[in-house]
Amino acid sequence: MSKTADIAVQKFLEHTDSEAASFFEACVHCGECAEACHFYLATDDPRYTPTYKLRPMERAYRRDKAPLSTLKKMLGLAPKPVTEAELKEWEELVYDSCNMCGRCTLVCPMGIDIAGTIRKMREGYAAAGLVPDGLKAAAAKVEKTTSPMGVTIKALEAQIAHQEKATGIKIEIDKKGADYMATFSSMEIMGYPEVLGAYARLFKRAGLSWTISSVAYEATNVGVQIGSSPMARGILERVVKAAEDLGVKYVISPECGHAYGAIRWAGPNMMGRRFKFEVVHIIELLDQLRREGKIPAGKKDGRRITLHDPCQIVRRGGLLKEPRKLLDESCDDFIEMKGAGITNFCCGGGGGVSANPRANVLKTKAFSQKLAQLDGIDSLEAVVVPCGNCRTVFEDGLEAYDKDGIEVLGLAELVAETLAADGHKQG
Amino acid sequence: MQTHFHMIRNYLRLGVLMLLLAAFAAPLAAQSVRPPGNAVNLDDGREEGPSNTLGDVSDTQLWDNFRGGDPADFLAAAPEGQLMTTTGQQWRLIREQYIRKYLGWLPLVVIGLLAVFYLIRGPMKISAGRSGKTLPRFTLSARVAHWFMAAVFIILGVTGMIILLGRPLIGPYLGLEVNSVLSSASLQGHNLFGPVFIFALIWLFIKFVRGNFFQMVDLKWIFKLGGFFGGHVSSRQFNFGEKSWFWMVILGGILVSVTGVIMLFPGLVDDIRWLQLSTILHALGAVVLIAVAFGHIYVGSIGMEGSIDSMLKGEVDENWAKEHHDLWYEEVTGKSAKEETL
Amino acid sequence: MSFLDLVEGPMFYIAATIFVAAGLWRLIGIIRIGRKPDISPAKGSATGGFIKGNLRHFFPRGIFARRTMVHILGGYGFHIGLFVLVFFGAYHIEFLDQRLLGFSWPALPRWGFLLAAEIAFIGLIVLWVRRISDPVMRLISDKDDHIGSWLTFLVMLSGAFAMEQAHDSLRATHMLLVNIWLIYFPFSRLMHAFTVVLSRGNSGATYGRKGMNP
Repeated sequence: MSKTADIAVQKFLEHTDSEAASFFEACVHCGECAEACHFYLATDDPRYTPTYKLRPMERAYRRDKAPLSTLKKMLGLAPKPVTEAELKEWEELVYDSCNMCGRCTLVCPMGIDIAGTIRKMREGYAAAGLVPDGLKAAAAKVEKTTSPMGVTIKALEAQIAHQEKATGIKIEIDKKGADYMATFSSMEIMGYPEVLGAYARLFKRAGLSWTISSVAYEATNVGVQIGSSPMARGILERVVKAAEDLGVKYVISPECGHAYGAIRWAGPNMMGRRFKFEVVHIIELLDQLRREGKIPAGKKDGRRITLHDPCQIVRRGGLLKEPRKLLDESCDDFIEMKGAGITNFCCGGGGGVSANPRANVLKTKAFSQKLAQLDGIDSLEAVVVPCGNCRTVFEDGLEAYDKDGIEVLGLAELVAETLAADGHKQG
Repeated sequence: MQTHFHMIRNYLRLGVLMLLLAAFAAPLAAQSVRPPGNAVNLDDGREEGPSNTLGDVSDTQLWDNFRGGDPADFLAAAPEGQLMTTTGQQWRLIREQYIRKYLGWLPLVVIGLLAVFYLIRGPMKISAGRSGKTLPRFTLSARVAHWFMAAVFIILGVTGMIILLGRPLIGPYLGLEVNSVLSSASLQGHNLFGPVFIFALIWLFIKFVRGNFFQMVDLKWIFKLGGFFGGHVSSRQFNFGEKSWFWMVILGGILVSVTGVIMLFPGLVDDIRWLQLSTILHALGAVVLIAVAFGHIYVGSIGMEGSIDSMLKGEVDENWAKEHHDLWYEEVTGKSAKEETL
Repeated sequence: MSFLDLVEGPMFYIAATIFVAAGLWRLIGIIRIGRKPDISPAKGSATGGFIKGNLRHFFPRGIFARRTMVHILGGYGFHIGLFVLVFFGAYHIEFLDQRLLGFSWPALPRWGFLLAAEIAFIGLIVLWVRRISDPVMRLISDKDDHIGSWLTFLVMLSGAFAMEQAHDSLRATHMLLVNIWLIYFPFSRLMHAFTVVLSRGNSGATYGRKGMNP
């Protein structure tokens, strides 16, 4: 057996805890998961059946870790060992055709968390170096600049300067003792920098003290996408250390999918300890501030607007009601798309797929499912997409299908735009 | 949307059945268990039995009175007070002499004819060869409905044939004890799966009725005998042969279902002759369906290249479609069936 | 000892013992693999999620159900029909009372038993036919799936054949197949009957911690 296969299989087994084992032992090969996966629905290719994507890891478990596997091996009834060729064949299934969106988990009658197990499976692939080039390149950039897009502190400072000018509000960096430390995705910083200004306006109105760290401004965690716990932990540690050094009470996770899960749910487990601060998602925070009356809604946006539910924030993150409440209060004509909420379709770009140019064609095909949802709303003018990565996927996808008449908006920006007029003038 | 042809064919079926039954009644009179008209009681010196209670009434007369009427009158109503009916005997004889003796040969004859056909004509290949391009023909739920019916049909067919022909066919070779076990098993299994068949029949009807109504294009198909004479014939989604098989299954299926339910719940009818008729019609309908099913299986598998793809995969080769269902091909793809698939 | 006595007696007890022992070995083995405790701050209860997850998954989610109605109806029909006929069929209650439990409970009337059996057969046949017809299920199915389906079908069919208990040989055949099924069960995918509690519970617990019950 090849060394690559050895390393991968060893990692597979290491990460097959009793939870993953219970999943492997419960699958009855019913195929319902395929009916939930946008990759299968867009292509009708049975290889994109979610449970099928897990085959190599499941086989390794059945051969070497499952109860009664020793007995089966003695009788020659255990499955054959996983080969390097198979691992390479499956690389496309594991990285290009899975966003770890969790729709399959939702529909599985046995309650198997296929998406979460893909995350564990990627540990084997990452350790063996069987990772798409696009992700490898992103990882290299993170190594150099902490940002998968290579965004340096200089670039951030330039964007901050623009936003300070546009809003007339100072945005402080490395402010010790601030209550909140905000993190951002590189996509936001470079592609949608208005979000920095939006934060400034909202937090000023709410009277929040906040800051951005010069060494830990990047929220995304390419380690989670590649599936390498050591890498993920290293990236996270930087943020945790900076936050604890600054003595903040809260770290704000931005409009980004996997970043939230990485720091809020996986974070303490990766670091082996709880943080000295609380993690709050920007949507959670805005909702809370709105309930406390600190950011009252003013003149509503009149456009016909719908909401995309980023998988890691809503379905996998638990923030179902908050974005909707905020939109209801900020918009006149907010319509839910068919299948909205927990069952909403993934944009197709999460989980590292959008950083993987090899997966571009497939990703665009998968977007057709999301597009059908948008097409189901007459005279749609805009869609709120509270995730920087999803936003790029939407813009690319709408352009590919000649639908760029529909505007793509961020949530924080929309809430900032529709803030009630401030009675006091601030100098 | 039933055509005249369809209705006429139904009446013909009914008429043939009635004729068959009437035809049976006549010779049976000659084979009845009554003594011949010129029989006499011989004086053998023995005490007469119960007949003496009526004095000078002969045995023949006595039994006549028990039967109460003309035994050759097959369809006569059974008046009260009648102790015996001869219709039961006639029914038994129909079953023994005709059904059990001859009906079982029908499927074998059909298989034999198919084998001869295959050896002489061989499988019907796709003339232009496979194009490698496919188009969808049957959805997943249609295929599932079909194979579900096939499974139930086979289970019922096998158990039914054992019930019908177990004693004459299994008894002599494997012994009556084995026959008893197999027959008992078959009866229980057959009775359990009967209602399942009704469910499968309804599902099959819903899935396949659209496209199976007879149309003018089918008349042309008949005249050319499906392409046997005169080369190419046009067809839409289903050709005349397929439509006939569909309606045979539905109508024959209704027949076996109704007669089957009567036999499962004898209390539903108050006249024993309905039960007797049910056994005969059930056997007739079932065996005819089994026989024609072999034809269906033949054409759908080895008899015609490319057919089985439609039911196994749901998709068929474009050249197969153009050759056998050109009008359907044009309806579905919008392209002409006369052009080559490149 | 007749063959019937053998399959209903010693062989049954051996098969049942293997069923329980190997089944427990497998379940306990899965749990003993263990997992690291989750130390992220919880928003809800994991235990509550374990239970809710088990219950929630009994109800197919509407938006997905429409695509695979046949699959769902067949699945429910088979499982519920089989459960009813096994535990409420008079023959079975009598067997369990005599051979295993020492007590009985009210049985279904014969027509109820037949109805449950017919529904179970419809479900099982439809599901297996779907397994060999649907491209997704064709790709992901393996020998275990087919053996499990067919073995269960043969157990049920031999049971149907043995009704009215007219022949010992039919009853013995049914019992023999039941014993084979009991022995095959804990080594196969049929164990999903029990592992489902663990898998639904585990993902339910994870969601429960996040304050969700999807």
